[in-house]
Amino acid sequence: MALFDSPARVFLAATALRLVLLVYGGWQDAHSAVKYTDIDYMVFTDAARYVAKGESPYARDTYRYTPLLAWILVPTAWEGAAPWSTLSFAFGKVLFALSDVLAGWLVVQLLVRCYRFPVERALRYVAAVWLWNPMVANISTRGSSEGVLGVLVAALLWATLTKKPILAGLILGLAVHFKIYPFIYGISILWWWDAERDGSATADTALLSQALGFFTPSRVKFTVAALASFVALNLVMYLQYGQPFLHHTFFHHLTRIDHRHNFSPYSTLLYLSAAGGAETRFEALAFLPQLILVVVALPLVLAKKSLTTAMLAQTFTFVTFNKVCTSQYFLWYLILLPFYLPSSSLIRKPTLGISAAILWIAGQALWLHQGYNLEFLGLSSFVPGLFLAGLFFFAVNVWILGIIVRDGGDGGDITVAEK
Amino acid sequence: MKQRITFIQRVDAGFDPQQAVLTASSLSVRGLDAAREDRITVGLDELPEEFRAVLEQSHELHLRWASERSFDAVPPFSSRVSPGLHVHYTPLESESSSEALCTLLRTVVAPTKDAQYKDCLKQEVFYDYSIPFEGTTWICSACVRSDPETAIQDSFITPPLRSTQFASASLQYYTYLPSIQSLVSRADGPECHTRADALLSADSVDIDYDSVSRALTVSGLWTSPPTGGWTDQFRKPASAADQIEFGLLGADAGLEPEEIKMGGLLAVVGLDEKLKPTMFSFPSRHQSLPEPSTYAVSFASPTGLHPTMSISMPQSSLKRPPAPSDTTCALHTYLTLPSTIFGDQYQLATTDPLFLESHNLVALRALAGEMDLEAPDWVVQRWGSNWLLELSTPRETEDATTTPDPSNWTATIPLHLRYLPPSETGHRTAHIPWPVVFWACTAEDDTNMGVNPFDRTNLGWDSLFHPRTLFYQLQPAGDRLVEEVDVPVLRLEGGDGYFQGKHIELGTCVFISLGFMWVLWRLACVAWSSGVGNKRTKGVHDKKE
Repeated sequence: MALFDSPARVFLAATALRLVLLVYGGWQDAHSAVKYTDIDYMVFTDAARYVAKGESPYARDTYRYTPLLAWILVPTAWEGAAPWSTLSFAFGKVLFALSDVLAGWLVVQLLVRCYRFPVERALRYVAAVWLWNPMVANISTRGSSEGVLGVLVAALLWATLTKKPILAGLILGLAVHFKIYPFIYGISILWWWDAERDGSATADTALLSQALGFFTPSRVKFTVAALASFVALNLVMYLQYGQPFLHHTFFHHLTRIDHRHNFSPYSTLLYLSAAGGAETRFEALAFLPQLILVVVALPLVLAKKSLTTAMLAQTFTFVTFNKVCTSQYFLWYLILLPFYLPSSSLIRKPTLGISAAILWIAGQALWLHQGYNLEFLGLSSFVPGLFLAGLFFFAVNVWILGIIVRDGGDGGDITVAEK
Repeated sequence: MKQRITFIQRVDAGFDPQQAVLTASSLSVRGLDAAREDRITVGLDELPEEFRAVLEQSHELHLRWASERSFDAVPPFSSRVSPGLHVHYTPLESESSSEALCTLLRTVVAPTKDAQYKDCLKQEVFYDYSIPFEGTTWICSACVRSDPETAIQDSFITPPLRSTQFASASLQYYTYLPSIQSLVSRADGPECHTRADALLSADSVDIDYDSVSRALTVSGLWTSPPTGGWTDQFRKPASAADQIEFGLLGADAGLEPEEIKMGGLLAVVGLDEKLKPTMFSFPSRHQSLPEPSTYAVSFASPTGLHPTMSISMPQSSLKRPPAPSDTTCALHTYLTLPSTIFGDQYQLATTDPLFLESHNLVALRALAGEMDLEAPDWVVQRWGSNWLLELSTPRETEDATTTPDPSNWTATIPLHLRYLPPSETGHRTAHIPWPVVFWACTAEDDTNMGVNPFDRTNLGWDSLFHPRTLFYQLQPAGDRLVEEVDVPVLRLEGGDGYFQGKHIELGTCVFISLGFMWVLWRLACVAWSSGVGNKRTKGVHDKKE
């Protein structure tokens, strides 16, 4: 296909898609009581307004993010005449949309440089999964900050695969500060980055030297840089905003009840136990299966075989086994799909791929139908409807996860180019 | 003890002098077609110990209770509150007085079996938990018994005050209360009992106390007579310290727009020899509209988890009230929402004209209370929230007088339900009192509203306006002024039922465990066949785990 010959065309089309959505969003906001702009964007911009006035972003209820986000969005608080104020309001969305495109560009670079993809093939996958994905473009142009995570993860991968440990560490620290979950990537990267990867493999098999050999310069640099940027950012924010920063950015996520219905298999149980009706406190152990897989098992088994597949499996597991799961979480693993899909059995065996897609969509549809019955029709669909739909969706995700793990073990045809 | 008995007759009601007879020792009325207000003022020393203990620690205490039955408000008693019990309270010292008032409130409110209310001291939520659970008390885990000194601030809310001149209560509490049975049953002595029992049929009851007068005033209002009219006898009190004032009056519009003119007969039982004709007028903040205007409240079905409250008014009745021309008038509604339902302050406080126009709202003017957007009802400690919204009115057209518009004007307020505890049916009912709807016309001049012998303040919404504001109430049109909204909840059955908590626990546990083991198994397969090292160097670096 001639379209994919030229990166410029693909990126121009991706940019144009976002531009059209931005203009359309502005039009809908101005002409309809139903807004295109995401409610979270109103929270960000309100917080940015507080910051512009020299106040704390946490003065805005439900602002549960790093102050960095409000700082970045300060231009949205600039007052001005009619056309100017519309433009300044859209500043954040433009930034998020550009982050999307930049993330896509980084992934294409990696596929071409490190995975030796022909440009056309790389562009095709990245366009299909990310750049031209209407869901991705929609989320960022509505003003959700998830796209920023996309670019941070892509940048983290880029710095890692091009062997820049300090830069990779700094980016990881920033990403974890931004949203806690990317810490799981740190473990995979650490395990992956052995001496052999640095090109200084030792044939020494003595246990002591193997143990000492774990501390390669790259691993040490990466860890120190990650800790330094994470600690530094938190220290700055804490000194600036004190306890509310810690509470809203981190502790809130540990203490929240999450009793509302969501895609997580735990959601009915959490409602039951939050209301005091559970006899066991099984949900208190929910972090165990999630963290054992994400922090220990997956990095250990998969990271050295295929870093990106390990990271994808980690993200997929994290979302599937999480106590709360909403549709924005699905965006987290989308950015990693272009690395996995080309070699996956989901593509190699179309029946398997199509079955997985159909089952995943069916799981979503079943759940959404029950959710609609509850939310809009007022039917009591918690049990069995939402409960079983949640478990079914979980089962589908676990099955797909099994496929990803098996593919990760195979390593596929993706190999990282040695420098 | 002082009593004031006022009968208000409508202009068209018949009156025969034989219907009110005053003798040296008593006054009797017979078959009187009138609205009635009884006001009893009692000194602190005359009260039972239980009440005195509460009041001695209060700076101000104002209770407003309104029936959920529809009733016509007659001038000068035209002000309204949402049905239920409203408490406005200012403790004398901030710490001391919570426990006594809370105990009293508990006795007032607790006996209603299925009431969902926030207790003011203990932070448990008193739902009607009918599901038997072995070893599990249905008291939520998040609730802690808080220390009594701070407890009252926990369930009460602090409303904002525009004017402190006629409303200074600093804490506010509301609960749905269809009957004041449990309050009146606390009354002591036979005389008190009769009086208190009579209050059961009242349309509204006010109880006021302040530490300056050290007197408690209880007012009951009946807007319509019992079948056959009022027949009653008021005897001269035995003690010289006690007094019964009697009035049989009619009300009409005064000369000035802010005035009410009243005329009729007055007497003090046992002192006056005959009923004295009288005529007087006074400025009143609560006014009636010349043409009765009505509103009806409903929730569009299905309500789901995001019910929208609709307030419908006939367009023809939305004319500016006859307030002085230098006043600014605006239509308002004041919502009293129990904690089960709430508004999103960010959604409602918007200045987006498209949103406001689509709901026929002008602006959110004031809000107080529980604003949490995420918390389930069982972790919410305060009783709920109050919302003052200005409503838009139809644009006045030139030919409005010739062709009255029969269609309705509807303002809508998007609201959201909190999660409620599970129930056996999968549903629970949220009782939402109808809001009050009124015109507020604010004057610049200094009319003194305080000389009105029938003045009524501390209604919750009045303090949100300038003290020189005239209020014109719209009349709620409906059989019952409380909406019942069905809240879907988790369905749990006791006994051998299919929907049981342990099935949810077991099912979740089994699925998670199987899923976890499946992924581990897949990882084990990979590790078995190719180790944990780099694929291309398999066999060279077979690391032992």
